[in-house]
Amino acid sequence: MQMTPDEVIVFSAWGLKFNSTIVNTWIVMALLVGVSMVVTRNLRADVPPDRWRTALEVIVKTIQGQIEEITQKSARHVMYFAGTLFLFIALSNLMLVIPGFMPPTSSLSTTVALALSVLVAVPLFGISSKGLGRYLKAYIEPSIVMLPFNIIGEFSRGISLAIRLYGNVMSGGVIAAILLGVAPFFFPVLMDMLGLLTGLIQAYIFAILATVYISSATADPQASVNKEDKS
Amino acid sequence: MSIDWITVIAQIANFLVLVWLLKRFLYRPILDGIDAREAEIARSMAEAGKAQQKAEAAAAQYRAQQAQLHADRDTLVDKALQASETQRDALLAAARAKLEQEQQDWHKHLQREREQFTAQLQRAAAETLLELTRKALRELADETLEAAIVRNVGTRLHAIADELSQAAGDSTEALASTRDALPEAAQAQLQADIKKLLPHTALRFETNPQQAPGLILRIGGAQVAWTVDSYTDEFDALLNDRLGAGASGRMRSSGG
Repeated sequence: MQMTPDEVIVFSAWGLKFNSTIVNTWIVMALLVGVSMVVTRNLRADVPPDRWRTALEVIVKTIQGQIEEITQKSARHVMYFAGTLFLFIALSNLMLVIPGFMPPTSSLSTTVALALSVLVAVPLFGISSKGLGRYLKAYIEPSIVMLPFNIIGEFSRGISLAIRLYGNVMSGGVIAAILLGVAPFFFPVLMDMLGLLTGLIQAYIFAILATVYISSATADPQASVNKEDKS
Repeated sequence: MSIDWITVIAQIANFLVLVWLLKRFLYRPILDGIDAREAEIARSMAEAGKAQQKAEAAAAQYRAQQAQLHADRDTLVDKALQASETQRDALLAAARAKLEQEQQDWHKHLQREREQFTAQLQRAAAETLLELTRKALRELADETLEAAIVRNVGTRLHAIADELSQAAGDSTEALASTRDALPEAAQAQLQADIKKLLPHTALRFETNPQQAPGLILRIGGAQVAWTVDSYTDEFDALLNDRLGAGASGRMRSSGG
């Protein structure tokens, strides 16, 4: 029994081995980008949107609304990042129902890659928002004694993100595989249905946590103090 | 559970590419499309607002023009009514004036016809009276009318002999005027009467076709006459009374 799609080599080229994780990631990417390209071509303001465009608008506006609700400001760059996280993870998890398709999110390498992306994106957003000095100063607040704890907290956030997503998706697949041997028809269906739900929830949680981390890194403490004083 | 770091790097690269691609083909087109549509809706709403304002202005202008037209129409109707009333009054006044004029003309015409008829009747009556008197005298007294007239004048001259002498004064001529020439016997009788009363006065006879039948004798400032006029005047008065009574009776009967 294979526990991770990293071990499945699909093809080799130029001396590189392309495993199932990478190939399936490309499939998910192709689906997302292809649908987006087909739906958003020839957009005109004076033409009423069709149902596909309306569906995409609902998805994008919902993501934007959720992110702006957390960041309390218009943050398109955060939306590009966190929205892509959500869409990629959600579609990968939903494709769990396709027989033989191993979601890339069931690979610890993928979840680590996404967690590392968040881990790097958070300070980048924070520095671009507040500047390098003010961002680094946040690590020694309220006292310089807190510096190691803040650093550990920062890394543990990334690790927890990676492990949580990987554990949920991989466990769903593993349990479905085990139950397939016990009760070939009934339990796998239930587990797949549960997997769809938990997959969406995990995508939502991953994206929301990433947004919260970025928002906390970009938030201006002085502004929040002033806001509390006014309220 | 193991981590393939090459796969991790590849997935990071894949994820970054996916972020760029979705930003390029999903987020920007969708959000820009929404913004453009909102702008289009806002522009359409603004245009609709302007169109509504224009329509309201046009409606207000139309209502003002309609009110003005109504006011003008009322003014025109009032003027037309006043003009028609004025014209009607003028026409009525003209009709009344014409009617009064026609009534006056008719009255004048009637009066004139009556006067002509009366005059004709008077002349006919005078002629008839004269002929009847002449006939009656000839049949009853075997005497001519002229002789009777001369005798009547002579009798009246004798009655006023003194006044006649004073009126004659220094006049030496008396004038006997008749419409037709007097018979010789009558002339002789009258000359004899004048000779007896006024010996120095010569009598001259003349005829006047305009004069009423009879005899008019003028001596100085005095005048003695007998003509049919006095009788025809009475006849005329009686006739006028009868005619007047007959006309009023007809008017009463026609007036109902």
